Amino acid sequence: MIPVLEKLWAFLKRDFLSEVSYRLAFLLQVFGIVLSMAAFYFMTGMIDPATPGLDGIPPFQWLLVGLAFQYYFSTALYSFSAKIRNEQMLGTLEAMLVSPTPTSLVIFSSAAWDFAYAGFRVVVYFTVAQIVFGVHLHYNSLGAVALGVLLTMLSSVGLGILSASFILYFKRGDPINFALSGLTTFFGTVFFPVEQLPHALRAVSDYLPITWSLRVVRGALLQGRTFAELRGDLAALALLTLVLLPSGVALSRVAIRRAKREGSLVQY
Amino acid sequence: MQLAIEGTGLRKTFVKKRSIRELVTRPFRAPQRVRALRGVDLAVERGEIFGLLGPNGAGKTTLLKILSCLVLPDEGTARVEGRDVREERLVKPRIGLVNSDERSFYWRLSGRENLRFFAVLYDVPRERREARIEAMLRRVDLVGAADRPFSDYSSGMKQRMAIARALLHDPPILLMDEPTRSLDPASSLALRRFVLEELRGRDGKTILLATHNLKEAETLCDRIAILVRGVVREVGTVDAVRRWGVRDRVFTVEVSQWPNVLGRTYRVLAEDAAEGGRRVRVALSEGQRLDRLLRDVLELGVEIRGCDRVEPDLEEAFARILEAESGDSGETAP
Repeated sequence: MIPVLEKLWAFLKRDFLSEVSYRLAFLLQVFGIVLSMAAFYFMTGMIDPATPGLDGIPPFQWLLVGLAFQYYFSTALYSFSAKIRNEQMLGTLEAMLVSPTPTSLVIFSSAAWDFAYAGFRVVVYFTVAQIVFGVHLHYNSLGAVALGVLLTMLSSVGLGILSASFILYFKRGDPINFALSGLTTFFGTVFFPVEQLPHALRAVSDYLPITWSLRVVRGALLQGRTFAELRGDLAALALLTLVLLPSGVALSRVAIRRAKREGSLVQY
Repeated sequence: MQLAIEGTGLRKTFVKKRSIRELVTRPFRAPQRVRALRGVDLAVERGEIFGLLGPNGAGKTTLLKILSCLVLPDEGTARVEGRDVREERLVKPRIGLVNSDERSFYWRLSGRENLRFFAVLYDVPRERREARIEAMLRRVDLVGAADRPFSDYSSGMKQRMAIARALLHDPPILLMDEPTRSLDPASSLALRRFVLEELRGRDGKTILLATHNLKEAETLCDRIAILVRGVVREVGTVDAVRRWGVRDRVFTVEVSQWPNVLGRTYRVLAEDAAEGGRRVRVALSEGQRLDRLLRDVLELGVEIRGCDRVEPDLEEAFARILEAESGDSGETAP
């Protein structure tokens, strides 16, 4: 196995073993997902399906995709910093950073389990939605969905690593997360279409990867749009990824080096 | 011969982080700085157990963190087997860190699962990994407990696990930060024996041991450095450091009686009753000789039952060095 993948796998295995030691918590989380979906199912019954921006998608299905992928996005955003903070508190970070594994790989791999778990949650969302709530999904553009998810992950990973670097340096605050989480939730078409916003604010959503990611996933899974029809949205998402991922990685290197100079790398 | 560890002119100052409140209320106030290392020079030879002694806040842990590539020095160079610590890719495979923090493992996982995880991080080749883990568990006598959750381990077992982890990738140098801090006397003794017989005796590891346990340093170390407020105040063998600031030689003489007249010539440090006589601790200053003392005693008709040299105590030497430092004389020897 390639050394990087082997390390990634070791982190996944470590967290899986920890998680399965809390079986009840795991089951309760799945129960929570089903319950929250039921709440949204009834709540969206109050929304007019002809609301501008829904593009003919039933409100529950529209919101379902938004919620599932917002979780994915916030995982990318929060898990790096949360994991690093947690390892600092546990006292295990020093033991990892003194190993020959590069610091950036330790940070990146720390969140592997959270990503895997977020993927599992998305699958649970869609499975329950189909079985319990009778949602019909189109599977003719799974390639576009997979590419959209991959690009969403990569773009947010860059920001997530940067956010973890903030934690390494500042030990608290995590200002990037607060700002991006707020922006994503409000402008990213998670809870309502951009058409509901005043004209002057609508352009903000164009700069968020989640907007394009949701356009791809809703288009493919709920409207049955083809790869060709979605290529404009995929291109926008790819462009944002090309900017965000290298920037995140480059800035995190600076932050890690600075944390080492300041001596704050393993303190909490 | 190339040194195992070499530090030259190492300086490190930490800037204390300011709270948001402070930044708002006193925006122009300079941040507080803590000078952890103020020009440390260090040379540790291969196969040596080198003790780093000092009170809390002396800079021991900062020095270890620099050598572990966790903190970068502001000035100076630190080399591990000739590689600069800024080249962490080259340095990290050569060091193993053993700290006293019991929390540095995953408590929900077993000892073996912990070692499997760290073995991947420490680049132990896949085909040798299981055998290496088994061998390390055997060496630290934890094979029987390997599959129990780490949370069930005693402090001594946790410390042995920390050693097993540090040895996974077979580094030539071990950095040990107060390894016996949380151990009971029996576990401390066993660990010290392990360090001497196994790590140094069998493996020939170079060990840099940071401690403020002077007994431990006396038992284990070939040489020690006394670090005070970020400066190395004294380096040498344990014996040499023990004698730091000591001009007099001290002897315990067991005699049938101790005539007071001898007190005019010789400085008596202590005198107490022994079996049918007296036990007297006498300090001989420069120019005074032991044979002369014994002759003087015999000439007074006193029977001598025994005579032993009293070695200077490391604890006292340490106190003298700290005292000299607090006087800030700038002298390294009186």
